[in-house]
Amino acid sequence: MINVNELEAKWLKYKIKSFIPHIVIFLSITIISAVFILFNAKSVQTNTVEVSSIQKLKTESKKEIPIVKTEQKIILEQKKVLLKPQPKAKIEEIVKVQSIIQEKQKTIHNYNTQKNRLSPSLDFMAKLQGDTLPYFDTGSQDRITEVTTKETPAKVEIQKTPKRSVRTPIQPIVKKSSIQIDRQNTHDDISQVIKRFKKNNNPALSLFIAKKYYQLGEYHQSYNYSLMTNEIDNDIEASWIIFTKSLVKLHEKSMAIETLKKYISHSNSHRAKILLDDITSGKFK
Amino acid sequence: MKSSIFRNSRDVFLDIVNAKDYIQLDRVSTIYQSLKNSVKKPLKMILLYGKPGTGKSMFLTKLYHDLSTSQDVYMYKTPILDESEFYKTLAQDLFKIKYRGELNFTQFMKVVEEHDVGIVPLVLLDEAQLYSNPLMEKIRLLSDTRKVKFVITLHKTEKEDLIAKEHFQTRIWESIELENASSVELKIYIQKKLMKANCFDSANMFNAKAVNLIYKLTNGNYRDSNKLLYTLFDIYTHYEDKGDTSKMNRNHVSHKIIEMAALHTGLIHD
Repeated sequence: MINVNELEAKWLKYKIKSFIPHIVIFLSITIISAVFILFNAKSVQTNTVEVSSIQKLKTESKKEIPIVKTEQKIILEQKKVLLKPQPKAKIEEIVKVQSIIQEKQKTIHNYNTQKNRLSPSLDFMAKLQGDTLPYFDTGSQDRITEVTTKETPAKVEIQKTPKRSVRTPIQPIVKKSSIQIDRQNTHDDISQVIKRFKKNNNPALSLFIAKKYYQLGEYHQSYNYSLMTNEIDNDIEASWIIFTKSLVKLHEKSMAIETLKKYISHSNSHRAKILLDDITSGKFK
Repeated sequence: MKSSIFRNSRDVFLDIVNAKDYIQLDRVSTIYQSLKNSVKKPLKMILLYGKPGTGKSMFLTKLYHDLSTSQDVYMYKTPILDESEFYKTLAQDLFKIKYRGELNFTQFMKVVEEHDVGIVPLVLLDEAQLYSNPLMEKIRLLSDTRKVKFVITLHKTEKEDLIAKEHFQTRIWESIELENASSVELKIYIQKKLMKANCFDSANMFNAKAVNLIYKLTNGNYRDSNKLLYTLFDIYTHYEDKGDTSKMNRNHVSHKIIEMAALHTGLIHD
């Protein structure tokens, strides 16, 4: 007689045994396929990220050039506009345009900082310039403070590269022009230099103009041109001196002191220190 | 114990060699016919060989059953291993001579030559691989006299190829190989066997899937299949006796029970 219960138990054991290889094969296939899919997904992700980032960079770099160019043009145009008396309606338009430019400049600034990791930090400039007064319009006496102060940090970044190449060959020109101005202290001569400055955007010329306006007692103009000089090249000591002196003359003593302090911390300028002492002690008014 | 469909079906597959249980399959019938034709020819020796469980004994039994009415046929299912006993048995059966003492080959050869029986008697020797080589040589010499015709069956195993031996190679005039059943043949075999015993419901339980599984387990070997099916219906009988009807389906044979039967018969191991 067959022991069916025992046979059933045997059958169960046999069935489990016979399923083990199938389970093992199934599990191994699923594990292998899962690993394969994960690996593929990761590689696809990295590829897409790389491709997208490369594409972004390409598009940004493509966009960047015209932005910089147009922006430079706009800045020059704005400077021209600022130098001339403008109606209030036009100033509002400029404000709008500058706000758009500012956004673009931020992106460019980020991109540049990512690339040039070894370049010195110029954050102090942003702070410094954020505290500075705007350009003074001699004609209308209207202040466009917000516009100019927001614009400054990005401009400094963009103009970074040409500064050294420009500085050295232009120094003798400054001396020559200064000799000319010493001889003729007329407004006509200054206007000629302004024309030249508009053509080549030379910081030596703008510094010369700032100095001359300071000598003539036109402190708003000297402030404007020294600020422009600083924007083009932030390492010109004389420009910062004129800038702070103009501020004092324009009754912005506290701002002048603060500006000088920041500049001294950055450059350790001896002349700037002396000027700071004079301003704080009241020798220079 | 009351008779049931499963009990009757189980008994159909009892491992008994009976000519009445012979199942006619197309291929097997053809082989059988060729064997019958060979017997009629003036051949000295006919060899029927194949793996164990391919139906050699059944073939021989069937042949004996069919020819015994028309001619002298003597079948020896169990080998007579003692030489003297072998000759004495043949002398008594073939020539109706009883010998009380020893009978050697020379004496028996004299008896064979002295007797003219007319129609050559047919001697069927099953399990011939059990005979010793000297006795097989003497059987060969006996067949050479053309006074006795032998039909012998032997196993053809992978370990030992007896047919390759000299006494078989030179004397065999006809050899017929029997093989395992195919899947289709196995289905016909099972169903015919059950229907012969009026177990029609059981016969209908064997669908192609169930037969394929049985074929996979037995490789179409008739003896293994019989064993498996006997155990299978034994399990069914057990469930039926216990009233455990939930474990058996009367519409088709459960694969589980087939495998259980295979485990019991040793065709598979746990």
